[in-house]
Amino acid sequence: MPDSFIPTSAELLRILPEIILVLAATLIMVLAPLVKGREQNALGYVSLYGLVAALAAALSGYFDPGPAFHQLILVDGFATYFRVLVIFAGILTTLASYQYLRREDADSGEYYALLLFSVSGQSLMAASNDLIMIFIGLEISSLASYVMAGFLRNRAQAIEAALKYFLLGSFATAFLLYGVAWIYGITGSTYLLTIRSVFERGAQTPGILLAGAAAALIFVGFAFKVAAWPFQSWAPDVYQGAPVPVAAFLSAGPKAAAFAVFVRVFVTALGPIGGRWEPLFWLSALATMLIGNFAALVQTNIKRLLAYSSIAHAGYVLVAMTAHSEIGTAAVMFYMAAYVLMNVGAFAVVAHVCGRQERFVELEDFAGLGERQPVSAALLTVFLLSLIGVPLTAGFFGKFYIFRAALQADLVWLTVLGLLASAVAAYYYLRIIVIMYMHQPAESAAELPPLRGALGAAVWISAAGTLVLGIFPSLILNFAGNSALLAR
Amino acid sequence: MTGVPLSWFLILSAVLFSLGVAGFLIRRSVLTVFMSIELMLNAVNLSFVAFSYQLKQVNGHLFTFFVMVVAAAEAALGLAIILAVFRNRGTLQVDEVNSMKN
Amino acid sequence: MDHILSIVLFTPLVGFLALLFIPSSKPAAIKLWANIAGFAGFLVCLPLVFAFDRSRDFQFAEKVPWIPSIGASYNLAIDGYALLLVVLTGLLGFLSILASWAAIETRLKEYYGCFLLLQVGMMGVFMARDFLLFFVFWELVLVPMYFIIAIWGGERRVYAAIKFIIYTLVGSVLMLLGILALYYEHFRQFQVRSFDVAQLMNTQLDPNLQWWIFWAFFVGFAVKVPMFPLHTWLPDAHTEAPTAGSVILASILLKMGTYGFLRFSLPLLPDAAKNPTVIQVMAVLSIIAIVYGALVCLMQKDWKKLIAYSSVSHLGFCTLGIFALNPAGIAGSMLQQINHGISTGMLFLIVGVVYERRHTREIAEYGGLLRSMPIFTIVFLIAALSSMGMPPLNGFIGEITILKGAYQVSLWWAGAVVLGIALGAAYLIWLFQRTMLGEVSEKNAALKDLNAREIAVFAPLLLLALWIGVYPKPFFQVMDRSVTQIVELVQPGAHAGQMVPNRLASLQR
Repeated sequence: MPDSFIPTSAELLRILPEIILVLAATLIMVLAPLVKGREQNALGYVSLYGLVAALAAALSGYFDPGPAFHQLILVDGFATYFRVLVIFAGILTTLASYQYLRREDADSGEYYALLLFSVSGQSLMAASNDLIMIFIGLEISSLASYVMAGFLRNRAQAIEAALKYFLLGSFATAFLLYGVAWIYGITGSTYLLTIRSVFERGAQTPGILLAGAAAALIFVGFAFKVAAWPFQSWAPDVYQGAPVPVAAFLSAGPKAAAFAVFVRVFVTALGPIGGRWEPLFWLSALATMLIGNFAALVQTNIKRLLAYSSIAHAGYVLVAMTAHSEIGTAAVMFYMAAYVLMNVGAFAVVAHVCGRQERFVELEDFAGLGERQPVSAALLTVFLLSLIGVPLTAGFFGKFYIFRAALQADLVWLTVLGLLASAVAAYYYLRIIVIMYMHQPAESAAELPPLRGALGAAVWISAAGTLVLGIFPSLILNFAGNSALLAR
Repeated sequence: MTGVPLSWFLILSAVLFSLGVAGFLIRRSVLTVFMSIELMLNAVNLSFVAFSYQLKQVNGHLFTFFVMVVAAAEAALGLAIILAVFRNRGTLQVDEVNSMKN
Repeated sequence: MDHILSIVLFTPLVGFLALLFIPSSKPAAIKLWANIAGFAGFLVCLPLVFAFDRSRDFQFAEKVPWIPSIGASYNLAIDGYALLLVVLTGLLGFLSILASWAAIETRLKEYYGCFLLLQVGMMGVFMARDFLLFFVFWELVLVPMYFIIAIWGGERRVYAAIKFIIYTLVGSVLMLLGILALYYEHFRQFQVRSFDVAQLMNTQLDPNLQWWIFWAFFVGFAVKVPMFPLHTWLPDAHTEAPTAGSVILASILLKMGTYGFLRFSLPLLPDAAKNPTVIQVMAVLSIIAIVYGALVCLMQKDWKKLIAYSSVSHLGFCTLGIFALNPAGIAGSMLQQINHGISTGMLFLIVGVVYERRHTREIAEYGGLLRSMPIFTIVFLIAALSSMGMPPLNGFIGEITILKGAYQVSLWWAGAVVLGIALGAAYLIWLFQRTMLGEVSEKNAALKDLNAREIAVFAPLLLLALWIGVYPKPFFQVMDRSVTQIVELVQPGAHAGQMVPNRLASLQR
């Protein structure tokens, strides 16, 4: 066996976060049969420690950037940023799940193992430098999350959500792969940088023509993951059916990782043929924003409403992608951080309020929350204001950077329509606030326990992050700006 | 394979892929829908192999193995989910597995 | 004195944070603390008045980098015009908290918290010299105001609150677009990323771009003013808001719109501002607002709605004055903004007083209050006279100055102003007659007159109204440099000889 096939320790260090995550997940799987019934929830701690260790490993990777495994993996600022983000989303989800699973009598180690596997896949996606590697990371992430969506398999809606998510997900993956095959055929490689250099040299004309079609196929695959038009229709059903913490996770981790590879593939690899895919992004961004925001207006179920809102937010991020510039990439990065915080936070509050068997997920069930639980209501208000994009919350600067980037790229109409759509969005978020503060409490009200423990921690961390990023965006923005240069 | 031009393989692959898409969109039974997806993946494999042969590389061949492994994992998982749905609903018709509001 | 603006800005915030730690079960403590914080917020404004140097433009400047990568900074400074608005905000912020003492019974903590936050936002708007910071404060004001209307408002409060926020949000996103366009043009020319308004002033904009940016700003500011036909949120919001909310809304929030025109639209986009089409459109919209607002007032059966529409009419004077683009018009507009804050603030407080006692706003329900509430009647009379522009009260000085400015432009404009003044006098006198004079019905006979706290609320406003009416010179002097600067930017040299305040002040004496 040639020496180069044996990984060096430096190479192993560069995938240390994934190694830790997979080991922790395996440990949980091994321990699970040894622990009885309800005690299994204690495995959540293993999950938490594993994620924190992986977070540390991901951060330390920043100080030792470089490729590994024959360029399949590339650890740079960009990869570090998204690795930290998806692992952080995993931590928040673990925290938000603990009490939920206990309430549902679904304490189980497998849940955390699946979560860790999924996060490891997302982390791998963030650091991938090769189309096949991206595909493998995507599948690791997806397969685990299909199961998570249907984790409470006795609940009809959950299993239905899992089925839909699985079928549409596999369907989209096939498109992605077909696109990858064509890119491989045209350029002779799946390494992102090689693909880029081939396109930069301007290969033979028929290949370039086909490259547009291949880019469209890949776009379809990723659009599914971020719930963007034309593959957004699964999101409402899946979010509604899946357990609330899983919905929170689906809206954060896989989406952040998918946007990371979106940038890697389209900006890095297919950057030179930007003219071929930018119109597609333009159209998708607009359609996604409009569909998300207008459909959200009429929702009565808060999970569905947040699902449509997350579609709309994917649309905003696509606006930044359409700009196809470094500040556009930085805007994508910043927005995903803001989005993870505010969206997981909002879902975590829903997980708190929804009660056993998720009986209280209609908007009306939030009536009087402002009186029943002033703190929960105030925190949810912070998240909703951030989703609207009110200043001094992370959401404001997220939108601000995105539309700034779009305007710099002369996407005036997209900017105008996007801004107007986001003003429309204020209506449905405010409706939740109206219900919380101005409607009389529903009967269900009294039995709500105080917001404490792990779930409370998840909500408070998200809220603090949302406000800190809203007041001092420089904390993350500088890092994002520097890393965006790398993803060229 | 000498004598058979690359384009034939690609056209066959495209036809298979399109059949898969059509099957996914038209068929009502969950199992058939699932098989359509497998058909799409196999169409992709065919392209990979054809391209790989044309480019005189082994990479493409290796990719098909990755795809097959993933497809196997997907099949294991998918069948489990389908089984759970059947236990839960007693039906495998896509239209009948739709309890959530649109 | 180095950080005096920050102190003014953050005193209410400190009050707010401390308020969070007072348990909800102690309403008296919450009320007391809110009043202390509000009063402190006003007191810290006062050093500004004494330390203000009339011979300089922007002062008390503070600048700290905030988001260096995009050139945004925490950049505060005020000139004379901003000074007046800041002090007015401090005063009315405190008075509206004081006026809520008996009116608000539920969720006190949230209520006073909203007012203190609102105060931070409004102060920030008038102090910010960084465009992004300005926008942040501008939007920040919306949130507490939304809650104030939506939680403590009247019957149709939810509708009114949503309408208020959607109108303003749509306006402000377009304004943001304008800000960004300006920012990029500046970046293109200087290769420096900056939101600093002073730096953005150096940008050379071609008239075409100015035109577009102007209309983008216009939507944002005009919704806030509100100018016809974007005014329809105002009657709902004002009518449904609790008394103190209406006071703040009318006295301060509307001024943010006119402030925007004077601070940004005119100086940054002079070519667009003096474009004849723009001036004509603005004048027509202003005149429609003046006349239409007044006519609607004449038909109102609802006391509070009448005052709300009178705001539309009065702000029409302000915008007309601005787009006269001459020293008299602009100075008059600035002064009239302060005047409107004082007199309409009083009028809303007056409605609040009777509403607290009778819980109805129907004008027909009242009558003969002179018998039962003599002090109140006198207060109302002064407020109404001030609002309709009778000498020797503040409204007269403002309106006559605007009239002068309008007359310099066109006889038609002057005619519209006179018509507006006449109609204003008509609806206010008629309102006075229907509510205060005549036979007193049983229900109204037993009403209690103003108590000491209520008199304390009205007293400073009455004094100010009288002061501006009798001796407006110091006010004009403070505004002098702001006015000349704006006029110089829009029409360089055209009005060089006119020393605004002295002329006008001598005219009045």
